[in-house]
Amino acid sequence: MIGEQQILGLLKRVVGRSPAERTELVYMGGRTDLTRYTKSAIHQNVSEENTRVYVRVAEGKRLGVVTINKLGEEELLQAVAKALELARHQPENPYFEDFPQPASYQRTQTYFEATAEFTPAGRAETVKRIFAQAERLGFEVAGAFTSGEAEVAILNSNGVAAYQPLTQAAITIVPVSREGMSRSSSFSHDVREIDFERVAAKALERCALNKNQQEIALGQYDVILEPGCLAEVMQWLCFISFGSNSFIEGKSFLAGKLGERSMGENITIYDSVHEPEAQGLPFDFQGFPKQRVTLIERGINHGVVFDSMSANQAKAQPTGHGLPPGMPYGAIPFNICLQPGASSVEEMIASCPRGLLVSSFHYVNGFLDPKKALMTGMTRYGTFLVEGGKIKHAVKNLRWNESMLRALSNVQAISRKREVIGDEGASFAVMPAVYIKDFTFTGVQKEESGPAPR
Amino acid sequence: METKEWLKAALNDLSRAGIDYADGRYLDRETESITVRNEQVAALSRRGDCGFGIRVLYKGSWGFAASARLTEADVMETARRALEVAKASYLTQREPVKLDEWQPHRGSYRTRFEVDPFAVPLDRKLELLFTAVKILRQDKRIAVAEGEMNFCRTEKLFLSTEGAEITQSILESGAGTEATAIEDGDLQRRSYPDSLGGDIATRGYEFVESLELVENAERIREEALALLAAEPCPVGKRDLIIGSSQLGLQIHESCGHPTELDRALGTEISYAGGSFLTPDKLGNFRYGSKIVNIYGDATIPGSIGSFGYDDEGVPAQRFPIIEEGIFVGYLTSRETAPIVGKRSSGAMRAESWNHIPLIRMVNINLEPGEQDLSLEDLIADTKDGILVATNKSWSIDDLRLNFQFGCEIAWEIKHGKRVRMLKNPVYTGITPQFWNSCDAICGRSEWRIWGLPNCGKGEPPQTMHVAHGAAPARFRNIEVGVKK
Repeated sequence: MIGEQQILGLLKRVVGRSPAERTELVYMGGRTDLTRYTKSAIHQNVSEENTRVYVRVAEGKRLGVVTINKLGEEELLQAVAKALELARHQPENPYFEDFPQPASYQRTQTYFEATAEFTPAGRAETVKRIFAQAERLGFEVAGAFTSGEAEVAILNSNGVAAYQPLTQAAITIVPVSREGMSRSSSFSHDVREIDFERVAAKALERCALNKNQQEIALGQYDVILEPGCLAEVMQWLCFISFGSNSFIEGKSFLAGKLGERSMGENITIYDSVHEPEAQGLPFDFQGFPKQRVTLIERGINHGVVFDSMSANQAKAQPTGHGLPPGMPYGAIPFNICLQPGASSVEEMIASCPRGLLVSSFHYVNGFLDPKKALMTGMTRYGTFLVEGGKIKHAVKNLRWNESMLRALSNVQAISRKREVIGDEGASFAVMPAVYIKDFTFTGVQKEESGPAPR
Repeated sequence: METKEWLKAALNDLSRAGIDYADGRYLDRETESITVRNEQVAALSRRGDCGFGIRVLYKGSWGFAASARLTEADVMETARRALEVAKASYLTQREPVKLDEWQPHRGSYRTRFEVDPFAVPLDRKLELLFTAVKILRQDKRIAVAEGEMNFCRTEKLFLSTEGAEITQSILESGAGTEATAIEDGDLQRRSYPDSLGGDIATRGYEFVESLELVENAERIREEALALLAAEPCPVGKRDLIIGSSQLGLQIHESCGHPTELDRALGTEISYAGGSFLTPDKLGNFRYGSKIVNIYGDATIPGSIGSFGYDDEGVPAQRFPIIEEGIFVGYLTSRETAPIVGKRSSGAMRAESWNHIPLIRMVNINLEPGEQDLSLEDLIADTKDGILVATNKSWSIDDLRLNFQFGCEIAWEIKHGKRVRMLKNPVYTGITPQFWNSCDAICGRSEWRIWGLPNCGKGEPPQTMHVAHGAAPARFRNIEVGVKK
């Protein structure tokens, strides 16, 4: 870690010496450590220190972006000169007006010394205890445990000077038996908040259930989706529906349909960095304060997120969701949340006459028909048939095809408790479990050879 | 170069500390990305990325550390950190890692190209993209017209405690266009020459010019518009002809990934998943029909999956994966190959200096058919089928068995003729069942290699540039559409 004064001081000197009309510098840097394991042994263990500085300059309405991973003042000035050269060769961007003006940011607590100081040996000792916990049940363990620290700083020629340190700790525990697998994970800025034994116990209990998987008839089933399932779906919706570009270009289901109903009355989706379960960066990568943005309110299309240029194009206001300079995607939400309900997974199972409990989704794809939010994916890490309010047995992994507008119009219950799903400091989802009626399953995972060709 | 001497000194220090093996990689990369969307430059940036990584094998356990700070002290400190990490790994060791023995190589490799894309004036690149996009936009139903170019130059140095010393200079150029038509709540997309960024090769700017983006823009626009009026693809079992680029992605997901030996041994099981092609199947499992021959080849000039040496210093090779339908080979590394009684296939690749090498695809290709069958011959030979082209969506399960792909465009074939265009085609299957249903593959004249610059694997996620060669092929009795 370099520290607030040193980073902002360096960026200020470079902006002060920049020959460009307007200059913006975005610094990201830090250390990421990651321990991966399979068959209850570490097979990969890495530690990376990196920095990145995005240099964006403006000459009138012409913009140039250069990125380097060197921190010398002269090297940064050379990057400024290159960016200026790129800007001068480009046509004017009619949606660019200026870089942001100074603003105040609501503080968020994202840095904890205990996480920053976590060592490779500490990670190894932690996972070794989990391996022993699993061995008592005859299971092996796979997964990953990451910890690290990072700094983000933004400084521009209008006087914006933003800085935020972050730490992150995330663990994934995948017990593997002879018959099946399960998965449990936890993410926090503060490693002390992660109850490793509880996360492992949850995964081990589920793995013990995931045996003797049976094949069931394909078709529509009520489903109880645990939080990780919706997190994957929501990440797709952020990209194909809730971002500025998909909205402006007419690709999103919200385009031209604000104020119309797309989902059930019990669905409110928003982007926020100030949740009880997790906090994020209080500003975006342009230096705008990050606002809480309601995307779907009680099932009604409410809005999308914007950076400064997409806001100008849409005649809206920036919401503080700009990405690092040089990316062609516009603004995208990266702290997506679904409002909690009043139920629990146990209550959902108890109320289910016949349906499926789904632990995780796998390889979701949302490009089938973005206007209908039609997606496909598989179930993974434990899918269970529920009958008469009880888990009957495990079933084989299933392929599903479903419009998320239809699915989120059929939500019968939402859990009170939400989980934070994430593995990076700035990006996460906060999701509850949901009970959805009539979810469509179209295929099954099985090994089958085909007939010889005709 | 000072960094080389510092890395050598660091490796010497590690050797004296009693390690089994260590290697050091230095990488300096420059990229340029241009995206033109409608009448605007949506993104234009240059990026420099430079640093080094040190990998240490200590008593049979791995450690890796990387840094962007290029000073002697930082190189030494990073080596110390890599050893500390390896010692932590050792705390949970069950079986020590043993490396396949290789004679250390000292050599160099350089991409051959005609025109350095970084020397081509920006105005010329923008003019090409704006001209193509302007043609794509010549109808108000085209909501988004987009063109992009990507260039990348990578200078690499590899050193090992065994004495390897390898330098490589790799240049990549790619481009593509895309038109999105929207009308009455329907969205249809056509891309050229392929979706998700077009095509990319280890060639110079001459490759971009050879793609003829402008010359193909009108056809792409008209196909996108025609799709708005097309009927949806029917649901049911049909004979399926898959175009070359989509077949490339089919090979990627259902053959390339499941034959990565680290995946088959369980190292990705908690992330993107494992493989149904477990080592007990090697040499005896019927993966496909007798005409299916798939091989890896990192030596094809100009292809994006080509290089001189992998990131363990093993020379690029050609090796069989599927022979006459039988699964015969994996993509391997020095650590994994001995486990199945083989030598490394030279497939260990890292995205950059700050990533550890993993087993990655190279150029994974389907051999063309023995007869020089053209696509039109194959259509003429099909009584009732669907021809699909250009990927739109992709999904496959965690063992690489159950897949579903969507394509941008399809045509219905009746009695040997294309009778109508179809939209939203989707097909699904089980990998070995699917490849066993392959009964015809077009010939060498239809065979083409496709660059794929966005193959993801590993934690932290790494993106790799790979490629797939294929000619259109026919698969019998495939489930098309989505049954409700």
